[in-house]
Amino acid sequence: MKTDNRLWTLGLAVTAAATLVAGCASGGGGTPGGASGPLVIGASVSLTGDFSDSGKAIQRGYQLWANMVNAKGGILGRQVKLTIVDDASSPTQVVTNYQNLINKDHVDLTFGPFSTLLTIPASQVAKRYGYAFLAPAGGGPAVFQLNLNNFFFVQPAPTIQSGNVFVNYLLSLPADQRPKTAAYAELDDPFSAPLAENIRQKLEAAGVHTVYKQVYPSETMDLSPVMGAIAALHPDLVVGGTQNEDAYDQVKSLVQLKYSPKFMFQSNGANSPLEFPDKVGAANTEGIMAPADWYPGSTAAGSAEFTAAYIKAYGGTAQSVDDSSAEAYAVGQLVSAVAAKTGKIDNATIISTLHSNTWPTLLGNLSWSANGAPAGEFNLVQWQKGTLLLVYPTSIAHARPEAPKPNWGG
Amino acid sequence: MPGPRRRSPTGAGDDHVHALIQGVILGVLTAGVYALMASGQTLIFGIMRVVNMAQGAMVILGAYLSYQMFTSLGVDPFLAIPVTTAVMFGVGVGVQLLFLRPLHAEDKSQLSVLVTFAVALLVEGLMSVTWNTTDRGINTGYVNASWTVFGYQITLVRLWAFLLSLAALALLYLVLNRTRFGRAVRASVQNPESARLLGVESERVAAIGYGLGTATAAAAGSVYGMLYPFNPGSHYDLISRLLSIVLLGGLGSIGGAVVGALVISVSSSIVAAAVSPIWSQMTFFVVLLLVLLIRPRGLFGTTVRGAI
Repeated sequence: MKTDNRLWTLGLAVTAAATLVAGCASGGGGTPGGASGPLVIGASVSLTGDFSDSGKAIQRGYQLWANMVNAKGGILGRQVKLTIVDDASSPTQVVTNYQNLINKDHVDLTFGPFSTLLTIPASQVAKRYGYAFLAPAGGGPAVFQLNLNNFFFVQPAPTIQSGNVFVNYLLSLPADQRPKTAAYAELDDPFSAPLAENIRQKLEAAGVHTVYKQVYPSETMDLSPVMGAIAALHPDLVVGGTQNEDAYDQVKSLVQLKYSPKFMFQSNGANSPLEFPDKVGAANTEGIMAPADWYPGSTAAGSAEFTAAYIKAYGGTAQSVDDSSAEAYAVGQLVSAVAAKTGKIDNATIISTLHSNTWPTLLGNLSWSANGAPAGEFNLVQWQKGTLLLVYPTSIAHARPEAPKPNWGG
Repeated sequence: MPGPRRRSPTGAGDDHVHALIQGVILGVLTAGVYALMASGQTLIFGIMRVVNMAQGAMVILGAYLSYQMFTSLGVDPFLAIPVTTAVMFGVGVGVQLLFLRPLHAEDKSQLSVLVTFAVALLVEGLMSVTWNTTDRGINTGYVNASWTVFGYQITLVRLWAFLLSLAALALLYLVLNRTRFGRAVRASVQNPESARLLGVESERVAAIGYGLGTATAAAAGSVYGMLYPFNPGSHYDLISRLLSIVLLGGLGSIGGAVVGALVISVSSSIVAAAVSPIWSQMTFFVVLLLVLLIRPRGLFGTTVRGAI
């Protein structure tokens, strides 16, 4: 009877302990100090499907950071172990994945997926379980409207504000060198058109006359009639609210139409060091501007180390490094920085610490407002002699902006 | 130096007229490429009553083959066409024998939509694995060249593509009207049973027909790759356009495919240049619906079978 009682008490204690441990793991991630095994970080990444190229780039960034940290003895003495699962670019699969990572695999921390589409549901799952959610991609307006305090968009600014730096640059020019007229060709998606509209409103307020503004649907295969209409109006500035294919098509069409504006800015596409010259012809890149966070040759914190590690692991040159990898790497940098500063590595600490400081990363200095919207500005890069160079803001620029843009190379 | 400032030749800086005429020129030249893709589509329907959802994917596959030959071997995309068409002819014959021949005759048309869509997805998947999902483009030295004629730009690649399409369509026309094979095709289309009784091997005709249709996709693909960036998913936008062209021209009519391509390409180009690119996509379907309301069998479709 006595033995039975003892067994029963022991059973109770074990159950209570197990419940406690499980509660800690699912409630607040890794317990500070208490955990001594590897630091397990879970992320759902699009390894297949529409976003697979960017998804794989993000996976490379996470992996490079983990390798780097582990080579230096891990975080607070714990080796980093990544658990990366594929969401096939699906917003339902991404929810299942994070639920499994948190409840089944009991990961200590979670890192974000690719795209706004997947970040929205994923960040809500993380919020439910009290996990900090650092996302290297997915900076659409809808994400910030969720008002999640556990969410951090790891880029310098919300995506639709990434054209601000271009506006600032134009307005820094003497009045007689600024463009007088502008045309806007905008892709109808949650980033591109709002981004270009943001630029248009600011430039109109500054007196730049809009001669053309059209939004085109994503299934538009041929932009030459649109660019033909723009060319006929000969604006000083052409702003492309673009993604990829359409960015290339805009440039090709203007080359074929033999119209070269004095200034040309594209929100995306032109900032791809490898793809852009390949698609539009290297000779036609000269003078085109785009926003960037990380760029080849950046001297921001950890950039050189990241670039060298990337090339060592995946080959190529600095020009072939995908900026999504840099953004993912920055997510890891932030976690390392929080651990170094606080001596702790749990979700509550990460959330409160990130909110209260400015953090140097390879994307520049990052800080956030309460809803996870970054408070900084993108950099302005420009194609000069076949290379993307940082040209603005002047304080960190590698080269002077080339204006007006030279004629097309053909 | 910024680009040259050009004024419209119509005088008084009438930029809108200039943009409109430039739009028409672009539309006509682009129509050639679409006509080529759509002629294969309409041929396949004419011979086999197969609604071929895979034609767009075959065009993109043709573009990839041409891209590969250009980047690996330095072969000019126009010169690569004989090779890519031959390869794609084989692919087409294979698809017909493997996937379409087993279908029962009575519900072949309906089932073919699903089967060829599955083929399109299969081809898309294989392309994603082989070339991944990054956008590709074929950039020859002359890809962005254009001639200035009266202040308007004639893109060289589009012009060559247009001429190539005319040549290919003429060839197709000759094959169908002047050869024994062509007679067999037309016989099979008009009355498959009688044709078979008279010794036409309709299975062979169908295989060669599907092969030919796919081969035209390859020729169009080479040009497509020079004109637009493409990725394995590009075929979705293509197929709706091709089906519209074929329906507009009349199912099974190659001449109809040419006219359909012209109407649709020019009208959407004009609307994109003069009104809005948003409505440009709609123009397609508005034109199509109007034609089908007035003439349900399309512009050149006939009520009798066998109008190739």
